[in-house]
Amino acid sequence: MGNKKSLKILSVLVALMILVLSASGCSSDRGTVSVEPDKAAEQGADEGTPKDDEGPGWKKDTSDITFDWYIHYSWFGAKWGENEVTKYITEKTGVKINFIVPSGNENEKLNTLIASASLPDFVTLGWWENGVKMMQEGDLVHPLNKLADQYDADFYKAAAKSTLDWYKKPDGNVYGYPNFSMAPERIEEGMQIESNQTFLVRKDIYEQIGKPDMRTPEGFLNALKAAKEKFPTVNGQPLIPLGLQEFTDSGNKSIESDLVNFLAIPREKDGKYYDAETHPEYLRWMKVLRKANEMKLISKDIFVDKRSQMEEKMAQGRYFSMIYQRTDMASQQLELYRKNPDMVYIAIDGPSNESLEPNRPAFAGGMAGWTLTHISTNCKDSKRAIRFLTYLISEEGQKDVYLGKKGVTWDTIDGKDQMLPDVIKLMNSDRGEYDRKYGAEKTYWMLTDELAILKWKPPFEEPIKQNAEWGFGKAISYAAYDDIEPPADSDEGIILKQVKDKRALLLPKLILANSEEEFDKLVNEYQKMKNDIKYDKVISYSQQKIDEHKEALGIK
Amino acid sequence: MRDLSVRAGSKSRILAGIKKLSRQKYLQGMALIGIIWMMVFAYLPMYGIIIAFKKYNITKPIASAPWVGLQHFNDFFGDDKFIQILTNTLGISLLKLAIGFPLPIIFAVLLNEITSMRFKKYVQTVSYLPHFISWVVLGGIMITWTSEGGIINHILMELKVLNEPVVFLAEPQYFWGIAVISDIWKELGWSAIIYMAAIAGIDPELYEAATVDGASRFNRIFMITLPCIKGTVAVLFVLAVSSIMGTNFDQIFVLKNPLNAPASDVIDIYVYRMGMNSARFSYATAINLFKSVISLMLLLTANRVTKKLTDASLF
Repeated sequence: MGNKKSLKILSVLVALMILVLSASGCSSDRGTVSVEPDKAAEQGADEGTPKDDEGPGWKKDTSDITFDWYIHYSWFGAKWGENEVTKYITEKTGVKINFIVPSGNENEKLNTLIASASLPDFVTLGWWENGVKMMQEGDLVHPLNKLADQYDADFYKAAAKSTLDWYKKPDGNVYGYPNFSMAPERIEEGMQIESNQTFLVRKDIYEQIGKPDMRTPEGFLNALKAAKEKFPTVNGQPLIPLGLQEFTDSGNKSIESDLVNFLAIPREKDGKYYDAETHPEYLRWMKVLRKANEMKLISKDIFVDKRSQMEEKMAQGRYFSMIYQRTDMASQQLELYRKNPDMVYIAIDGPSNESLEPNRPAFAGGMAGWTLTHISTNCKDSKRAIRFLTYLISEEGQKDVYLGKKGVTWDTIDGKDQMLPDVIKLMNSDRGEYDRKYGAEKTYWMLTDELAILKWKPPFEEPIKQNAEWGFGKAISYAAYDDIEPPADSDEGIILKQVKDKRALLLPKLILANSEEEFDKLVNEYQKMKNDIKYDKVISYSQQKIDEHKEALGIK
Repeated sequence: MRDLSVRAGSKSRILAGIKKLSRQKYLQGMALIGIIWMMVFAYLPMYGIIIAFKKYNITKPIASAPWVGLQHFNDFFGDDKFIQILTNTLGISLLKLAIGFPLPIIFAVLLNEITSMRFKKYVQTVSYLPHFISWVVLGGIMITWTSEGGIINHILMELKVLNEPVVFLAEPQYFWGIAVISDIWKELGWSAIIYMAAIAGIDPELYEAATVDGASRFNRIFMITLPCIKGTVAVLFVLAVSSIMGTNFDQIFVLKNPLNAPASDVIDIYVYRMGMNSARFSYATAINLFKSVISLMLLLTANRVTKKLTDASLF
């Protein structure tokens, strides 16, 4: 019994420790990280600048080297060295990559790497992540401009100037370089820039109810109603007239971003940034959604479903209409297309403002792009690292990553450099196998420059084609308004978090409100709460960021 | 004189202790590994708790973070969510304790009464199965089952219990029930194992003697089975009480949504939101420390009470 007893005590203690541990995270203590360039950098400096200034930097040293590269996304599964593209790049540059990908919660992995000062050579993560600020302020990553000054001036040629200005910190340094950044000076007239934000309807249903105009509240509600009346069920399951993105802890992207852009709501009033949630157009359309619920056109499933449930429903064609990121449902779209080409979702003009201005979806990417790639201060050879980075963002690197090796994955066909038909076919039919075999296109998207690859893109194929082309000419840049949120642990950040928490609860309530009076009451309470916790502090923080951004972008 | 003898006595006792230790050196060596493991992975990291009283920045060492006293605790108690979070945590946990604790005992006792071995094994295996499915998968299944066109609505409508489908997870009033029932369904068979083991350890002679004395099945359950597993029940009860402040994070995480938030926001989820999503590590640690302290107090209290009542306890 004694042994049993102590075992029990042990297990209790262990359980308690685990509780405590899970709260404190990794607590390893360490000295401040050295700000000086690492050893490799010093050696490089001793050698002096290379004599042969001809040709790109990466050509000067093509000996074998393996870099560790952290990708902040657990879904990233591509490997290095097995497919044509990576073999080709290694052959050319001598660089091999060992990708480090979190197996579970990404922030947990990153926090552990940061707190234990063991960041790998390259670090790639979304620009909005808290980790970016932590690494930059903690001097855990090299300023790219310093490395470029020291080892590879070509970096400035390859990088877009306004992108560098955009990411220039108050100390004058640029720490990370983004992918999918839409630098205005590189956007040329007539470039067909896509948007992800779309209003989608199921083609067959939409045609059967007479292709109504859904831009006005009346048209919108009537179309939902007609669809539900004509097609009450899909495969025996009830039809969901309107789908939105997932309702999360911080709100709903379809409402906060897509809908606001469709309504062409200006971000500024009299030259000042303001709270778009107070705009009459936004409230008018939120009331339309409320009305839709009153007419029993909103299914409560949309508040409950997570991404996986939604994807299942999309693949079954359960939604009539959706305000959704088209790229997030591309594979469901293909599945529907294989089943029945009429069942696919097509993009049409969605909810519009009173004067029926065209929808204004955002550029895919925007100014800030998607992820930032950093070179950490732990990097084993920062000279090779910056040269490799420069190569990747240069025209040549973009082409090697996007198209691969000439004759193997691409060739000049009809005067255009493009992927071979067989390669494209595999890409569209079995993406996994394509990644393993070729790994071209955006398999390695870490530094993809959308504007650079545009000229090599294969023509779109149905059903994606229609969705993508809808946005051409409509999509605009909201560059100045990217990355304007205060850091999460600042006073403003805490206020913003409270507002977001509240908003996440409010949005479903607004749609489910029983009457317009109740709706107005909820909105007033929400606005009062914002006043009480001084939300205007967040607005003025954002205003300051916008001013900085505009300067970087050269607007006014 | 008396002093000396006491000292001599204690000395010889120490010597005897050392002798005993050296005789057990292999056993002690094995224990030592465990103790070192605990020191490294459980006790040393406890140093990190102090960030609950500091304004910690993850890129700087803990030691250099400025002290802020009880500010994070005050923030938490002053948070307008505090009452709601605490209510939900306690509500779900107490329900799980009240219903989920006795059920495995009853289940184990009933299983023990099944005479057909094959049937018994079959029931046992089937009841374990849900335990091995992770909550992420099971949560997805629950969402589909309780959705508008899901199987539960289908059955209830066929039975004319409902006229219109109800999206159960969208209604806060059903959330506690869903959380408790799905948790019990998943863990019932698994939790019963320990009681099955305890019952298997009861001397069969007791049952034989009772049968000879003319005891019925119910008599045997109440007079032999239950009293004999009393100790196990008490120990598990103490552990269950101490975990009242914790809810099943995985479960709530997959089942929660903004509509059921008034009933599903619990301490663990809040800590996750603050720590992982908002990077407020100090604040999140303070909340969890508060939780751990309450849990420890509950553990000690429950241990005392059961010791008084049943003479069985953890320590």
